[in-house]
Amino acid sequence: MKRLEANQNIPWVEKYRPKSIREMAIPQAKVNGHRVALDDELRTFIKNFFNDIHKINEENKKIRTFNRNTDDKHQKEELKIPPEKAAVLLEGPPGIGKTSIVYALANDLNMEVVETNASDTRTRDALESKLKETTKSRGIMDFIVISKDKLILIDEIDGIYGVTDRGAVPTILELVENTQFPIIMCSNEYKKNLQPLYNKIRKFEINPLSKDEILKIIKIIIKKEKITELKLEDLDLIIEKNNGDLRGIINDLQGITQGGIDKDNKDLISHLHRDSNEEIFSVIRDLFQKASTLQEARRITDKSDVDYNFLYKWVNENLPTFIRKNKELENAYENLSLADEIFGRIRKNQYWSLLPYFYDLFSGGVILSRKYHPKNEGFRRIVFPRFTSTGFFSLSTAEQSFVDKVKEKYNISEIEVIQNLLPFLKKLSSNSRKHLKLISDWLELDAKEKKLLK
Amino acid sequence: MSDTIPIWRIKYLPHSLKEICGRKDLIERLSDIIKERNFPHLLFVGQEGIGKTTIATLFSEAFLGKYFKSNFQKVYANVPLTSEELKQARSEAYVSTSKLGSLAGKTITTPAFIQIKVKPFIELKALGDVPFKILIVKNFEALGSNQQAFRRLMEIYGTNCRMMLITTKISAIIDPIISRCQIFLISPPKFEAFDGLIRYIVDKEDLDIEENTIKLLYNITGGRISNALDLLQLASISGKKIDSDKLYENLMTSQSDLIRNLLLICLKGDFPKARELSRKIQTSYKYNSKEVFNFLLKELFKLPISRYARNHIINLIAEADYRAIDGMDIDIQISNLMAKICNFAELL
Repeated sequence: MKRLEANQNIPWVEKYRPKSIREMAIPQAKVNGHRVALDDELRTFIKNFFNDIHKINEENKKIRTFNRNTDDKHQKEELKIPPEKAAVLLEGPPGIGKTSIVYALANDLNMEVVETNASDTRTRDALESKLKETTKSRGIMDFIVISKDKLILIDEIDGIYGVTDRGAVPTILELVENTQFPIIMCSNEYKKNLQPLYNKIRKFEINPLSKDEILKIIKIIIKKEKITELKLEDLDLIIEKNNGDLRGIINDLQGITQGGIDKDNKDLISHLHRDSNEEIFSVIRDLFQKASTLQEARRITDKSDVDYNFLYKWVNENLPTFIRKNKELENAYENLSLADEIFGRIRKNQYWSLLPYFYDLFSGGVILSRKYHPKNEGFRRIVFPRFTSTGFFSLSTAEQSFVDKVKEKYNISEIEVIQNLLPFLKKLSSNSRKHLKLISDWLELDAKEKKLLK
Repeated sequence: MSDTIPIWRIKYLPHSLKEICGRKDLIERLSDIIKERNFPHLLFVGQEGIGKTTIATLFSEAFLGKYFKSNFQKVYANVPLTSEELKQARSEAYVSTSKLGSLAGKTITTPAFIQIKVKPFIELKALGDVPFKILIVKNFEALGSNQQAFRRLMEIYGTNCRMMLITTKISAIIDPIISRCQIFLISPPKFEAFDGLIRYIVDKEDLDIEENTIKLLYNITGGRISNALDLLQLASISGKKIDSDKLYENLMTSQSDLIRNLLLICLKGDFPKARELSRKIQTSYKYNSKEVFNFLLKELFKLPISRYARNHIINLIAEADYRAIDGMDIDIQISNLMAKICNFAELL
């Protein structure tokens, strides 16, 4: 933690993440409509879990000894911990503190958090293999030192593979009933297909923080970061635009502050508002203009919800705008091209475990190639990746119908029409309107096809 | 009908073996074969654009006579299959478990191209009074390793269907295929025949051209009639008199010139312009990745640069080509190559 604090450029979301429940503004939570105290409930849940699992483990040891000495017909089944004692679900909008409370609690109870993200595991087997080892086993260090107990955090459970069909819930339940450590799951919204899950475990519906609580926290940050030029009305605007998403508010605050407050704040704030259309522009801008370490680059790409399929195409499109020197361009493109190759392998062979390399290469690898950073770069226009390279020969509808009409009269392949005949016809038509008419009449072209000749 | 065709290269296409320009020895041999009513599998080899496919098609027409339509098929091995065809291939390849036999439940692994485009044709018996069907496969070298599957086809269905394989690169054809075929090396027409044809067209289109200009036309186009007629037609737009200046003016910026331009811009170090041009080339010609790198390599050899520089750039192209095999986005790989060349050029 100390090492991180020494780095001036660490995102404030991480810098000011609460390290203990005492530092936190606990959000309000309800279970089945009744208000509960979230931190107390979670503490009790964890304490009870370890009591229960200890009892069950003892029982199972006895059953196993019994089973070894009896034949199959009379064997007893091992006990399993009931789901509602093994796992809980925190449901609430993003940025309100679900993950933070888990980490803070773990810190207070001297536990270690094992975090996985359910939504980027594409197959049931992969999810199982990721979690089974952790839920079942105790590490080898347990035999040597008294290591910390683990607290398992499964994030984004509403994005898990199979949530649109019935595969998800059985997977989760199977994991839950075989676990040796308490599980806390987080989700952003209600998902109909997870209802069977909601019936079996406790779900905490978490509300966003109130404006007062948010303001309290922000004021602490403002004081610690020594921000002096922010007006109260601008602060209000930031808070309003983010809809209770504290993470978003802190990010925006950092974005404005570190970008220089001498600009017109309102414009900047409305640019930063988290509309998904605008978001990718800000991701690209942040990546190129603000990130200067691999970790920052990673966080910028992580925090965005943008499909990575697309995101790296945006990087490709806008790279030359920000990187002008040929030497840096070469380095940047080396990283991007490696990323593309890895991505191709991931897609074709389903090697999803290579995805982190892809992320790091196209974000961090690219921007770190830029050694020269102008102080005040000013506004650079960011462009949408219009150009899609066709990996194979694909024709637009107009081109396809044009090819068909040519084929009726002149029997050659599509490739020969597009690569050979069409360029000639274009040149002919552009030099002579008479010929344009003759050709269009002879081939019976319609307006769209005629356009191809111009 | 032929008077109303506005495109000369189509208007003056030959419609029988006799009308083919030049190559009289070859035509005689083919006519003898037609009389014998029998021939082995054939392999036509020659430069692109000199008429191999035209000759092969006309030969088949003459051989099959009135039964031409149902017993003839021409397929292009370099045209990729559409997604519907691929889906069909995948669904047909699976043998249902309800069928008897050891193949039940398995997937037959014939290449999709052969399964969809070739097999349905050659499995059916020839119709009418012909000894066999004829299948022309153009750009056969594009099959790559799938040529192996063709060996068996040629043996099993040989009695029912003869194949005429057409290619520009004999080195890209595997030996077992070559040994099953009789090879015909096709060359462009000699100047006399070419001259005769051009004069005939000049007469018909009421143009005015000199002997030297026809010679120049022959040299520029290498005797390729389609290219020559295109050039002639372009030159004739601005007037009936055709001289060498006009020919040079209208010599089209073909794809090789564009690619050469691309390399030159890279060597000047101007990356944004290079990328713009590379995208223009890709969209207008719809090259696939293999073709782009092949053309770059070809043009590289024509550039006046030092051996050291050329060697280095060849390595860069090879690396980019290799990455593009697995990569998802060829624009990124081409951009990478261009960035490298731009940077390298600064060191030169």
